[in-house]
Amino acid sequence: MGVIIAHIPKCMLKNPQIPLFILIGAFLCLSCVKDTNFDDADNIVLTPVVELDLIYFNLNASDFFDTISNTPRLQIIDTTEIKFLDDAFVQEDLERAEFLFNFTNSIPRSFQVGFQFLNEQNDTTYTTQTNVLAGTALDTETTIFTEAVANEEIMDLTRANKVVVAVTIPSADAALEGMLNLKSKTTYFLEIED
Amino acid sequence: MKNCCYVLFALMAVVCNAQNKQVLYGLKETPQSVLLNPGIEVPQKVHFGIPFLSQIHVNAGSSGVTVFDIFGASDLDINQRIRSKIFELSDKDFFTATQQLELFNIGWRSKGDIYFSGGIYQELDFISYFPRDLAILAWEGNRDYLDYPFDLGQLSVTADLTTVYHFGVNKQLANRLTVGVRGKVYSNMLNISSTNNTGTFTTSLDTDGVNIYDHTVTDANVTVQTSGVASLEEKNGAGEVAGSVLGRAFFGGNLGVGIDIGATYHVSDRITATASVLDIGAVFHTKDVETYNAEGSYTLNGIELIFPPLNQGEATIPYFGNLEDEIEEEIPIDTLTSGYTRWRPLKVNASAEYGFGNIFGGGECDCRNPGASQTWQQAVGVQYYAIARPKGPQMAGTIYYRRTFTEGLSAKATYTVDSFSASNVGLGVVANVGKLNMFLAADNLLTYGNIAKAKSVSLQLGFNIIIDE
Repeated sequence: MGVIIAHIPKCMLKNPQIPLFILIGAFLCLSCVKDTNFDDADNIVLTPVVELDLIYFNLNASDFFDTISNTPRLQIIDTTEIKFLDDAFVQEDLERAEFLFNFTNSIPRSFQVGFQFLNEQNDTTYTTQTNVLAGTALDTETTIFTEAVANEEIMDLTRANKVVVAVTIPSADAALEGMLNLKSKTTYFLEIED
Repeated sequence: MKNCCYVLFALMAVVCNAQNKQVLYGLKETPQSVLLNPGIEVPQKVHFGIPFLSQIHVNAGSSGVTVFDIFGASDLDINQRIRSKIFELSDKDFFTATQQLELFNIGWRSKGDIYFSGGIYQELDFISYFPRDLAILAWEGNRDYLDYPFDLGQLSVTADLTTVYHFGVNKQLANRLTVGVRGKVYSNMLNISSTNNTGTFTTSLDTDGVNIYDHTVTDANVTVQTSGVASLEEKNGAGEVAGSVLGRAFFGGNLGVGIDIGATYHVSDRITATASVLDIGAVFHTKDVETYNAEGSYTLNGIELIFPPLNQGEATIPYFGNLEDEIEEEIPIDTLTSGYTRWRPLKVNASAEYGFGNIFGGGECDCRNPGASQTWQQAVGVQYYAIARPKGPQMAGTIYYRRTFTEGLSAKATYTVDSFSASNVGLGVVANVGKLNMFLAADNLLTYGNIAKAKSVSLQLGFNIIIDE
């Protein structure tokens, strides 16, 4: 003990507050972080499931007959951009998408409805289609079509930024009556890692 | 979003009721105590702060979650831990960080027995409330939350980087009463704030038959005010950005003014009461200002196709562009460059102390002259602290024990209950070696065995030269 004291600088013996100050400072510096695993941050994955309305339409039976030329319009087509679909964020983080198309039909005709997804260059990247059951004025027919897109197909889907919707009727005349309605939504299953 | 998680967790890791210096408050043996109470009894004749070392203060915390809660060794998946914390926290929980670096500090007693003090310090102050609803939306999405109004008003954040120039006077007006006042000029280098926001986002089943859902933003009014930020976008690299920001430190930023006031009153020879109000002032942001405001209501139902008859080569209707235009019309995002005023975070300190033991220096109590700058060797007391924050004041209560061991060594131990913890133990030591005055103060010492379990940590240290009477 005497040896230790002999090696303590005289200024410290004269000012005992110095070693005490150093001791407390050392205690504060010796605080530690333990029992933690910060590498676990690499395993953080956000998995939100987002539901968004997609498109809707309300077609009248008369839309399938051109009264000027008095000829049926057996296929009508429309296109809309879906600009966010080919965003880098969606391309990287979309794991799966589920489309739900809900048709209600009071036209006494069945329909074939196709959905063609196009990229910026108007090349087709993904297609799907469904048949809509014929209804009657008194009994509206409901057709629900779901399409799940996953794995490699999701890459095809997320290269598109527009969708072409084609509605085809087998036959039409001026007397045809009723409505074909569509409501739709997409469920986006995201996995956000980095 | 993941990056936001990292930032929040990093804040939890580095940095408490931010700005509460409960250990230093009233510790008159260190010159910096006059910054916490301009009306403290100043014992010394002259002091010089050692430039850049006279006070270093770091302070950070989160009111509802610790680093260990997320990153602690556990068999439970980290994503489940984060999810459970998101639901456990409320929108009143917050993350704070404060850092102060004193560049220069000096004080002297005049012949008229007034103690003048002044200096410059730089301060970073950040607070973000936990936007719980937005975190749930980002973590879970909206599928399982039909009819739930996600509250956009939970977004509340302020960040300030400021240089403060101050000069104060302190005088004992009577045997029992010492008062002080400090004037401040603020040079704000950076400010980002988004507070008092309103609005909700709700996804609900469509009731009027248009489409499957109504995605509705109701009465949104979200504003982000910035100053000193817009011009940084033109800078190349971190070096240029840092140079530009630091260039505003010396009156180059947006200026403001404020005052601190304080007093010490000896109720009796043993009981002393103190109080101070700090940063009564505001910064007037007029330069390099950009304010972004989004206001309105809108219901999204998707895109309606109308299948117009088109001739060959005729372009179709730009539905998506029209939708974007419609949204921008209903909820326009305006960028304003008009100035704005931000109040400084007002702080209130108060204490009551009972002294006992010997009167330091061996003197006896002069009962005809109670309180005349005498120091009891030991004291116990209570302190109150409050700071004005965007969602209301945050408060802390402290009990403490202070002891002067020798002329050169004093210490103060504190027990604080605040928004972060009900068991915050702090300790401060002031040592004088010759004319060199050193102080060191820290809190949440009970968590020092594993600081990852602390909701907040705070540290102040400094070196000054003191010339006594």
